[in-house]
Amino acid sequence: MDRGISTHRVPTTMRTGGYLIVAVVLCRAAASRAGQATPDPAVAELAKEVRNKGWIAYSARSPRGDWDLFLMRPDGSDGRNITNTPDHGEAAPRFSPDGTKLLYRRLPKVAAISHDQWGFKGQLVLANADGSNPVVLGKDGEFPWASWSPDGRQIACLTKKGIEIVDLETRQVVRKMNRRGYYQQLFWSPDGKWFCGVTNHLGEDWTVGRMSVETGEINAVSSYQNCTPDWFPDSKRIIFSNRPANQEDKYGFTQLWMADGDGKNRRLVYGEDGRHIYGGLVSPDGAYVLFTSGPQDGSGADKAGAPMGIIRLADTPMITGPSRALRKLHPNTKDGPVLWLPMGWEPHWTYADVGGKK
Amino acid sequence: MRHGRPRLEPVSHRVAVFGLCAGAALSASCQKRTDTGSDPKVTTLGSIEVTAQLVEIPDQFPPNNLYDYAFILKYRVLETHRGTVEGESILVGHYNPLKPRESVADERVKDIGGNLKKFQERDIHRMALEVPIDEYYMGPIINKYHEKEKGPLYWAVWTNRVVR
Repeated sequence: MDRGISTHRVPTTMRTGGYLIVAVVLCRAAASRAGQATPDPAVAELAKEVRNKGWIAYSARSPRGDWDLFLMRPDGSDGRNITNTPDHGEAAPRFSPDGTKLLYRRLPKVAAISHDQWGFKGQLVLANADGSNPVVLGKDGEFPWASWSPDGRQIACLTKKGIEIVDLETRQVVRKMNRRGYYQQLFWSPDGKWFCGVTNHLGEDWTVGRMSVETGEINAVSSYQNCTPDWFPDSKRIIFSNRPANQEDKYGFTQLWMADGDGKNRRLVYGEDGRHIYGGLVSPDGAYVLFTSGPQDGSGADKAGAPMGIIRLADTPMITGPSRALRKLHPNTKDGPVLWLPMGWEPHWTYADVGGKK
Repeated sequence: MRHGRPRLEPVSHRVAVFGLCAGAALSASCQKRTDTGSDPKVTTLGSIEVTAQLVEIPDQFPPNNLYDYAFILKYRVLETHRGTVEGESILVGHYNPLKPRESVADERVKDIGGNLKKFQERDIHRMALEVPIDEYYMGPIINKYHEKEKGPLYWAVWTNRVVR
């Protein structure tokens, strides 16, 4: 299946120049995501760099139109459907920390997924990392927003009654905690000391918060219109999506941001006017950032996902496209290639050799 | 026994009858019908049931085109029918308040409803409630009273309009 892999660079140096340059860049950017532009050596270099750095699992529409799970190399090669289930949809794969297993949700054959509700829809499934041997862990809605513990033996679930830590072997709840306003996208830090998630905190909804697993104390990492947080491998920083207030566009566009766990050193990672950036994920070595870039808010989960992209963290903060308004707010960004990948949703990355059947 | 065509009433007679009917209808429509808001749902759902006046809508409700939310509204309790509430003034979270209560239930929040069409300040509502809100609703909560009021947040399960 041709999933539209592109190895073309999205131009980023747009601070000078007139309408002609803008037009050219717009055409190139659009063509780039469609995989039709001239190959760019910098993008090709990035593709070569990440080619053998493990595997990316992601949800995407199959040719039948339902949601399946796919695996591919980070440069977009060796892609394959690992669920291929005409009677179900599958979404939101997460590799275990050692890369041997996969958690995901099996959904009814749905036309659309809500990117704010998928965590408590359908059944939680545990499979080998290549999708083989899938085992359904519970009934519909059970084990909501399940997130791996660092040792892969437990999962943390976010329920109305609180955060429940569940032993995967016995499937028993071994600890309960107050959820402190968390309501979606809960993720356990690699060092096991923290949770991050989206919370109602100090009267502000859509706040990315960090909670101590030991004490249950919570602090805001970023307030006002944030979601899809995830951990850096060092457990000290968090990447998240944020639609800042007071943008030139009245509704505004969602960008990728990062901050320390205590909310300090908050800064832009990647953005583009006209696009909503979601699903931010830092590669296991902390060198790259994986994301989705859709034209409409909501990460494309209600349609067919959005183009996925990889950038180097060292090239950030980065802005692509003309993005006149965003560049005005962030005049000191860097340039770098974007490796555009197929349409997908909620991708995850492991450096383990998933291998398995092809 | 009727013979031939029916006899027509004089025009003046018909006008008078019409006037009387119209007057009666107008009078009935102007007469304020009371409604306690009681129904089998509001009197049985939740653990608390109150009749309360909506004191304030502290901000404009955001649109519901993409994101769901609960919005905290301030009420003055007029009567407690079941359970107990803390104080005369309570904070109640309503799910997606731009929607009529009869169609507000969805996949995230299934068991809520009522006959209230629209939230308006000073209106009186009969509500079945639960508390605290976090045990019954997991989603975004817009609470403009966070810094000013520290009472518990109630969750509106069923909301009916009261006419007095």
